[in-house]
Amino acid sequence: MSALTLTLTGHPEEPVDMSPLVPDRLRGLRTPQVSALLLRCGNRTLRVRDLFRVTAGEAGRLRVLRSTARLDAVGAGLQAGDIDVHGPVGAQLGRKMAGGNIRVEGDAGLGAGCGMSGGSITITGRAGDFVGAALPGERAGMTAGTIYVHGGAGDRLGDRQHRGLIVVEGDVGDYCGSRMLAGTIIVLGTAGRYVGAGMRRGTIILRHRPRLVSGTFNSCGMLKMEMLRLLFRQLPRAHRRLASLKSMLPLAERLAGDLAVGGKGELLVLEGAG
Amino acid sequence: MRINGVQIDDTFAEAFSMKATRLVITAIDLYWAYRAANSFTGFASSVIDCGCEAAIERELKPSETPDGRPGIAVIIFAMSTKQLTEQVRKRVGQSVMTTATSACFSGVESPNRIPLGRSLRYFGDGYQMSKKVNGIRYWRIPVMHGEFLCEETTGVVPAIGGGNFLVMAKTSRHGLAACRAAVKAISRILGAGTTFPGGIVGSGSKIGSRYPFLTASTNHRFCPTIKGLVSDTELTGEVGSVLEIVVNGIDERAVRLAMRDGIRAACAFGPKKGIYRVSAGQYGGKLGPYHFHLHELLK
Repeated sequence: MSALTLTLTGHPEEPVDMSPLVPDRLRGLRTPQVSALLLRCGNRTLRVRDLFRVTAGEAGRLRVLRSTARLDAVGAGLQAGDIDVHGPVGAQLGRKMAGGNIRVEGDAGLGAGCGMSGGSITITGRAGDFVGAALPGERAGMTAGTIYVHGGAGDRLGDRQHRGLIVVEGDVGDYCGSRMLAGTIIVLGTAGRYVGAGMRRGTIILRHRPRLVSGTFNSCGMLKMEMLRLLFRQLPRAHRRLASLKSMLPLAERLAGDLAVGGKGELLVLEGAG
Repeated sequence: MRINGVQIDDTFAEAFSMKATRLVITAIDLYWAYRAANSFTGFASSVIDCGCEAAIERELKPSETPDGRPGIAVIIFAMSTKQLTEQVRKRVGQSVMTTATSACFSGVESPNRIPLGRSLRYFGDGYQMSKKVNGIRYWRIPVMHGEFLCEETTGVVPAIGGGNFLVMAKTSRHGLAACRAAVKAISRILGAGTTFPGGIVGSGSKIGSRYPFLTASTNHRFCPTIKGLVSDTELTGEVGSVLEIVVNGIDERAVRLAMRDGIRAACAFGPKKGIYRVSAGQYGGKLGPYHFHLHELLK
């Protein structure tokens, strides 16, 4: 059976809070009931049918067509099921999701995967700032799960990240992994300034030498890291899109830090990094 | 019953319940993986006085190991989960971690887990780090060769110890030739292990002793040099050496297959090559609940 499909019929003038439309909450609802659900759009409340054409399908899978960057909180709180979005999405994609899979064929706005505790997010385009970071006022960012960004990402990627994996194929902005508590970030493009600033633990793997690293990181030299060998071998087993990691060598310069906050984190700059 | 002229006694091997785990030991190459595995399985022939029984199960290709390096699968058996936990900690800590370039991973899936890296991590003296990959936590312990990578826990499964058969031969030389072939056949059975030196027991034991401080003593009924003295001897005049092969397994099937293939391999030598009879050690039901009847196995 095909997925329950929502096709955007117009161009919302204000951001739309999409958080009520997650597969696990739609289970058991018939198409008219889904069409009648309420959504916040700016300071108004609209019915789903005012914005989308609803096509019946399997409730465990949701497809959003003709999406725009005005659709915020897509997949927020998702526990299980799949969401497939064609087009860009707005802020807080997969906010606090605990399971399931979200795939966005397009760009994502601010705070994708912020506070998530499980599941996976794939963004084929570019992601905004604060990917996998903590929600405003919260102490920890993502605590589990995987975020994969095919394009680049903005600043503060993984800010306060607390476990989980973020992989970015493109470039990332400044302060990548800032105040990180644990977890793994892999950046295959270039990273901006102050990578890992304030990180307590965790690992940031960089394919290219970052532009500017804080003086509170100490080099431990170029090393063969068995952990990298394990990571490059195991991650592609669970995430097919990470197959390119298999060919990478486990050689890296290890920069331990941030010594300002204990120094138990690390930047691993892969051999041959330019 | 006879196979290739070798008499198979109508008896059974009496085996008992154990707990086991399989570990995958990897290293920079197979040579160093073997050094770690040999050390890990050293002094682990019998729970009578070693605290555990351990054996190398097989070599692993790089494609079969978590970190893509050559490895060795070892199985360790103990009488309880508590004993197993202690032996795993000691042996991985002293034999695997000390082997240059080694790493250690769990090789068995089970909801029952015992600490592996979780108890060894403190060797890192505060510099240890953990990394969760695909839901599995690994400990990274900084050591002088680099990092010792070790999975946090390993699975524990119910297992069987003490599957056995006795090969009665003209001389030890004849017996060893047949038994080595048997051990080689057993080594092909996944989940089975022969924990004694070379897989062969030269001094099989019975339960108890005339001395109260001993829990096991020589199996006098199968000792050729005293067969004229012992009223209940099991040996006939032509038998000059009895060798025992003890098989442990992570399940009943592994023990059954290992005993079957081992006995067949030994019998292939036949009386002309000095192999006369195959029997098994049973202790009247005092030892354990698993009974492997030789005639049933070899049907």
